[in-house]
Amino acid sequence: MNNSYKGLRKTALVAAVTALGLLITGCGIGSSKNSDPLVIGISLPLTGDFAQPGGAAKKGYEVWASLVNEDGGVLGQQVELNILDDASSAEQVVTDYNRLINQDKVPLILGTFSSLLNFPASTVAENNEMVLVAPAGGSPKIFEPMPKYYFFAQQATAPRQAEPFVNYILSLPESERPKTAAYATMDDPFAGPVIANMQALFEAAGIKTVYSKVYPPETTNFQPFASAIAKAKPEIIAQGAVFEDGVNLAKGLIQIGYSPKAMFQTSAPSNGAQYSDAIGLANTEGIFYAVSWSEKAPTPMNAEFVARYQKLFGAGLVPEEDAADAFAAAQVLQAAVEGTGGTDNPALADWLRANEVQTILGPLSWDEIGRPQGDFLLAQWQSGEVNIVAPDVAKTSNNLIFPKPAWTK
Amino acid sequence: MEIIQVLSYGILLGGLYSLLSSGLALIFGVLDIVNVAQGAFLVSGAFLTWQIWDLTGIEPILLIPVVALLWFGLGIIIYRTLFVRVAPQGPSMTVLLSFGLALIIEGALNLIFGNKFKSVQTSYSLQSYKLGEINFPAPQVIASLAAAVVLVLLYLYLMLSWAGRALRATAQNRDGAALIGISHRKISSFAYGLGMATAGAGGVLISVSYPIYPATHYEWISKLLGIIVLGGMGSIPGAIIGSMLLGIVEAAGNTYAPQWTILFFYGVIILSLLFKPEGLLGARSRKDSV
Repeated sequence: MNNSYKGLRKTALVAAVTALGLLITGCGIGSSKNSDPLVIGISLPLTGDFAQPGGAAKKGYEVWASLVNEDGGVLGQQVELNILDDASSAEQVVTDYNRLINQDKVPLILGTFSSLLNFPASTVAENNEMVLVAPAGGSPKIFEPMPKYYFFAQQATAPRQAEPFVNYILSLPESERPKTAAYATMDDPFAGPVIANMQALFEAAGIKTVYSKVYPPETTNFQPFASAIAKAKPEIIAQGAVFEDGVNLAKGLIQIGYSPKAMFQTSAPSNGAQYSDAIGLANTEGIFYAVSWSEKAPTPMNAEFVARYQKLFGAGLVPEEDAADAFAAAQVLQAAVEGTGGTDNPALADWLRANEVQTILGPLSWDEIGRPQGDFLLAQWQSGEVNIVAPDVAKTSNNLIFPKPAWTK
Repeated sequence: MEIIQVLSYGILLGGLYSLLSSGLALIFGVLDIVNVAQGAFLVSGAFLTWQIWDLTGIEPILLIPVVALLWFGLGIIIYRTLFVRVAPQGPSMTVLLSFGLALIIEGALNLIFGNKFKSVQTSYSLQSYKLGEINFPAPQVIASLAAAVVLVLLYLYLMLSWAGRALRATAQNRDGAALIGISHRKISSFAYGLGMATAGAGGVLISVSYPIYPATHYEWISKLLGIIVLGGMGSIPGAIIGSMLLGIVEAAGNTYAPQWTILFFYGVIILSLLFKPEGLLGARSRKDSV
């Protein structure tokens, strides 16, 4: 009796401990699912040549994390961003993503800034079968290896950025349409293809090329370019610019006093006050550029994005386009995670290839190798502010300035 | 006519490069320090100019003495607190120190001014002077003239003052200069301060000519190092000749074959070094001599 009682007590104790253990473990599993953060690894150029867009992209990711966490996180998990600085170095970006994936074991990653850095980053992502949604990096070179895990989170790849401007020029009546064009572009994997494609399309439409030069990224003195372009007397000037080069060529043209009928630059005019401060607000009038985002766009979450950006970084500040692109990239990843119900990266890639995602840039969808299938917006500086002038669905102004007014010295 | 336009652009550019590279040459000539931080000092001088201009609207060129003097003092402090301890470890350690300084300065500028381009706008920023068909962009003309004035003042100071003579004596023969009572420590910090003063003055000039951004110091230092290697490490006249030559090469490259400009720029340096390894005006040094 005594022995059997002892045995029963022992069995009950073991059962109780086991039950308690299971309960604790069970609770632990349950609570860890909701309380452990979902860490997303990101490498960004926070110093070096691309520090400006890198810093803006960081803000965009942070705004997204802030809004998502306030809304309960992703799949019930709060989001935590693990951001490393790649110092604008193609070598460091490889080190960063390898560290994030293999050392820090992050379940998800997001892209860095510029084609130059996303190209090596995409190689790391492919090797590790990790989805890389990139806010910038639409160079055709990135898609040449036929990536399975790389998704460019803007409307179209680099060569197609010029199309809205080309379409506008070619829509002009024959009598008004410019007959000649000059092209200058930085030897850059994003800017170069934009201008090359524009030149091909204009030449095919009969617009004669009177000047065409490619310059290295280190170029700072653009008076010789301005003189040579002015000598060729083009009616269109198109520049594949990043920022400083765009400002310096515009300043060179202003100093010489040569104003074309239409002027298009990549990227540089999208830098708001930095651009207008550099060339003078009056001189921005009529300058075109292609853009992925507008703060006035009526896309889902756009107003919330702008409001939270201003709350976090300063009232009245207009978010940079690069910040919006980063926000959209994070929205894409979020949609895939929620769509698949987990962080299985091959499943995320399959889901993205099969679905359209609503972002603040508008709806985005991709082909088999991660190339987006939409169209960029055509923006123009008008009376000191930027308006979207094409396509019709995204217009913020029905007015379109052509020909461009003369420079104001 | 086009060739005259190209030459004029090149000379204006070379004029600016002359001042920017002279400080680097001076520091190397006296101290045997390859001051990789010179580009960062230059860019930080430009940011200080932008800040003062933004607050007061003052004509930036007038700030040359102010920024140069501030940078001179800062240079002496930096030398006496940092370089004096590291210099005895050899040139490679001073390169590392100055590179570290450059990174710290870049980071500090990012924190203070943000990752944004800043532009100084003056009444002449978008103007140009014309002589027949030849254009002379006003900011470059003014920057080059100001650079020439600063260089002449620097030359006169080095030639006529006791400190200038002591500095030249140290550059020619450090031990000999010490034997006649020239304090190496004092003259070294003075030389570093003077090199920094030229960076301060140069910073003012680049702020009126280009948009400024913390990371642009990499572009400046790579060009300036190329110039002083071509001119002869440590030779200020060599730096001026190298500046003019490479300014013209750059302007010609940008006009006729921009894609190859960088190749031309460094190609000229490599070619000249093949025939004159010590640089155009550099002296052959014998490390076995005392």
